[in-house]
Amino acid sequence: MEFIAGLANGFMELFKAGANTFSGWVVGIIPLVVILMTAVSSVIKLIGEERVYRVAQCATKNIITRYTILPILAVMFLGNPMSYTFGRFVDEKYKPAFYDANVSFLHPVTGLFPHANGGELFVYMGIAAGVSALGLSLGDLAVRYFLVGVVVILLRGIVTEKIYLYMCKKEGKEI
Amino acid sequence: MNQGKEKNFVTRLGIAIGGVVNKFYSAGRETIDITIKSILPFMAFVSMILGIISASGIGNVIANTISPIASTLLGMLVISFICAIPFISPVLGPGAVIAQVVGTLLGAQIGMGNIPPQYALPALFAINAQVGADFVPVGLSLGEAEPETIELGVPAVLYSRVITGPIAVLIAYAASIGLY
Repeated sequence: MEFIAGLANGFMELFKAGANTFSGWVVGIIPLVVILMTAVSSVIKLIGEERVYRVAQCATKNIITRYTILPILAVMFLGNPMSYTFGRFVDEKYKPAFYDANVSFLHPVTGLFPHANGGELFVYMGIAAGVSALGLSLGDLAVRYFLVGVVVILLRGIVTEKIYLYMCKKEGKEI
Repeated sequence: MNQGKEKNFVTRLGIAIGGVVNKFYSAGRETIDITIKSILPFMAFVSMILGIISASGIGNVIANTISPIASTLLGMLVISFICAIPFISPVLGPGAVIAQVVGTLLGAQIGMGNIPPQYALPALFAINAQVGADFVPVGLSLGEAEPETIELGVPAVLYSRVITGPIAVLIAYAASIGLY
């Protein structure tokens, strides 16, 4: 009898640890994320998509802005998964590179602007939870993640563009 | 005449305020929708896994095997390279579930002090070299790309990741100097 009781206790212990983690996250993460997401989405709705489209159109012409300003605008204003639709502003031959830059920014943005990719917060939050468990502040990590993200999407855009154009040339495809 | 003008102004003001309030309200509703439909289920699922891992002792195994790899630059370059291999990356991609679970596991190790906190930044890129590798055809069609573009665009993105995945880790490693 005691053995069975011990087994039941051990079984419950297995899930108590999970329950503690869960309540810690719900209390510690959700309220801030909800308020932040509401605030940022309201601002974005007030600015309006039309105005963003006009800036986006201008950003497609230059190789630097095409893989920095354009994906940043797309991700911040439309979020996952609608940001991909900004691909229609760029020329056909740049679309794969824009996709790469856009999708690679979907996680670096979540440190500062969780509204943009609410469904996939835990790439950043999972690691950030460990850092805050040590009593360190997260601001520095979030800002650096964002900035390194911008550098990385520029690099990915340029490299993917070159690879795609090379592959088209090899296949003898008109571009 | 004057009264008509004033009424007009009041009406316009009312409509404008109504519009603004409506935008705030719909922002709030979208946020709660995302929280209930995506964030909370994910928290439930990951905290269950984490709880079982930490209570059953598998956590110690992870601490002894993965933590030493993830706390060196070379180890993280290897992780990003593996995540970016063109026939592995689309498998790891969907919903970023793998990246999120691995991120949470690494976070737990950072919290326990097994991985130094300044490695958080390069780790964020190492575990995520495969981001969106499963989604290229859909993402390109959302951007109104031609079928021929998609045909060559998919391998172009996947090959590019093999190069840019490890480079992203190097950039993040350099940027993490002075962090914590």
